[in-house]
Amino acid sequence: MENTVVTFVEEGKRTILVADDEYINREILNEMLKDDYNILKAEDGEQAYEIIKSKSTTISLILLDLIMPRMGGLELLSTIKNQSELASIPVIVLTTDQESEVISLNTGASDFIPKPYPQPDVVKARIKRAIELSEERQIISDTQNDTMTGLFTGEYFYGYSEVFDKYHPDVQMDAIVLGINNFQVVHERYGKHKCIKILHFIAVEIRKQYPDNECILCHKDVDLFFIYCHHCNDHENKLQAIADAVDLVYSGVRLEMGIYACVDKNIDISKRFVRARLAYDKLQGNFRNETAYFDDEILNKILFEERLCDDFATAIKDKQFKVFFQPKFDVTGDEPQIAGAEALVRWFHPELNLISPGKFIPLFENNGLIYKLDDYIWKCTAAQIKEWKDKYHKIVPVSVNISRVEMYDPNLSNRLTKIVEECGIDITDLHLEITESAYVSDSNMIIERVEDLRKKGFYIEMDDFGAGYSSLNMIGELPIDALKLDMLFLRNAFNKRNMKIIDIVLEIARCLEVPAIAEGVETEEQYLKLKESGCSMIQGYYFSKPIPCEEFEKYIQ
Amino acid sequence: MATIEDLKRYGADTDVAVSRLMGNEDFYLRLIPKVFDDRSFDLLYESIDNRDLTKAFEAAHSLKGVLGNLELTPLLKPVIEITELLRSKQDADYSVYIEEIKKQKDILEKIFDR
Repeated sequence: MENTVVTFVEEGKRTILVADDEYINREILNEMLKDDYNILKAEDGEQAYEIIKSKSTTISLILLDLIMPRMGGLELLSTIKNQSELASIPVIVLTTDQESEVISLNTGASDFIPKPYPQPDVVKARIKRAIELSEERQIISDTQNDTMTGLFTGEYFYGYSEVFDKYHPDVQMDAIVLGINNFQVVHERYGKHKCIKILHFIAVEIRKQYPDNECILCHKDVDLFFIYCHHCNDHENKLQAIADAVDLVYSGVRLEMGIYACVDKNIDISKRFVRARLAYDKLQGNFRNETAYFDDEILNKILFEERLCDDFATAIKDKQFKVFFQPKFDVTGDEPQIAGAEALVRWFHPELNLISPGKFIPLFENNGLIYKLDDYIWKCTAAQIKEWKDKYHKIVPVSVNISRVEMYDPNLSNRLTKIVEECGIDITDLHLEITESAYVSDSNMIIERVEDLRKKGFYIEMDDFGAGYSSLNMIGELPIDALKLDMLFLRNAFNKRNMKIIDIVLEIARCLEVPAIAEGVETEEQYLKLKESGCSMIQGYYFSKPIPCEEFEKYIQ
Repeated sequence: MATIEDLKRYGADTDVAVSRLMGNEDFYLRLIPKVFDDRSFDLLYESIDNRDLTKAFEAAHSLKGVLGNLELTPLLKPVIEITELLRSKQDADYSVYIEEIKKQKDILEKIFDR
């Protein structure tokens, strides 16, 4: 963004236009000001107007006489104040009588200087102040308005919305997030330059539907628009009107709208737009112009998630999280033999009862609580391995899940090593399950990190294999000790009777010279087929669901 | 060649005028003769003759600003008076003021050997 104020200064001086038909007056001002400013002179209104139009970006101030031939000062003042590109230039009126002062100020003059002119320091101080005020206003305007669309930027938008609420406490308001469906695709198709034009165009159309007097508008996060407006019931029609206008010029640009209607003014303004955004997010991936409302379902989900986050610290302290163990059986021999387990977390909430990991793991992955939870689970698991080792003199390797976000923690390897050392188990006893999708995103960094863990002695199982992410080209290079077949992948294969695909996947494991572990095995048929095709290990309800440690001990005995 | 002292004797408030010009006396002395060529004098006389009081007011008003800036008090005084009369568009006898303006302008011109 160009700083508009910087363009005013030429060779260290700002430029002032003196418009006065009297030669002597012009010369007196020139003499007064020439050391501090570049002076342009105009002998009449029309000449002044031509200069203003051609040098609007470099003129810092206009000193304007009121009575001039060919276009009077007031007419000129009114003309420039009514043109948006000229209106920001401050004007000081030069006047002989007080009557004109009020008219001038009402017409848009910043100040007036009487004739005969006051002493130079007074004139200079008034000029300096008028320029400073104008430039400060310009800087604020540049900051508060987005250059691409002319709408407010985020912080100012929230600020103005709050002020609006303060003066209109009883007006029901709607918070709206409007955005472009699949903006990335639009960006690829039209390119950056055209996308800026599209965003500008949308902003203009939004303004037509949501006029300034009852709406506050903002452009945010590249492809989103925030609208804070009086409550109404025809947002769908407004969206359609905007979308139709856009479609005439830019085909294939689809718009979506998330609406939080009749906002609760007790919650923070930014949170109101989080709610609108949640409604908006529900629409992602649709191929129609559509609207969605924030409703109780979304609200309950948020409240539930907030509750989980609030209760997290207590849950750790009170040991509400329990580690369950799902046995893994070695099926290479005649009889299945217990070969280990996967550690799985369960949350026994004192009021909400058993909460499924599917409800809190993704949430904690998003807000970072996962690090604390993982540490807790890993420690519990390592301590359990140690207990069994001491009690039964048997090693039962247990695998723990390393979530994708954990792979971005440079301290991961140290955290795991420390836990192993503190619990007094061997590094090979704690197996690590790293999901296949983690290898694909930012794969070089992840691969290096996994290699590092493997060098330290950890046994790495690639989890969810077959979910469709890794390329065959890459798989040969991955640092892994076992392939764990994706549960849904296996279930699909069995449902569609596509046994060949199972053979292929198991063949990949053989090529990599690593054992294959099948999870989610539920029926004898599945078990027998996998065993026959050479799968080394089986985990699933066919043998056992995840069970508490006391129950698991019977397998060790 | 006119001097600041000549203008003081004439009655001009030279101290104020010169300080308005950042203390530049030469510039002040060079600027005053430009008054003699100011079209507003003739415009004022003609408009009064034609009883076009609006135009006459504009001309007097302009002169008031210029003469005020130069602090040429004896000439400024009748200009201010006629300006105020013209502002209210009174059907008065303006000749007294015109005479006085012409007289004071003559005196000033003589100081500048015009």
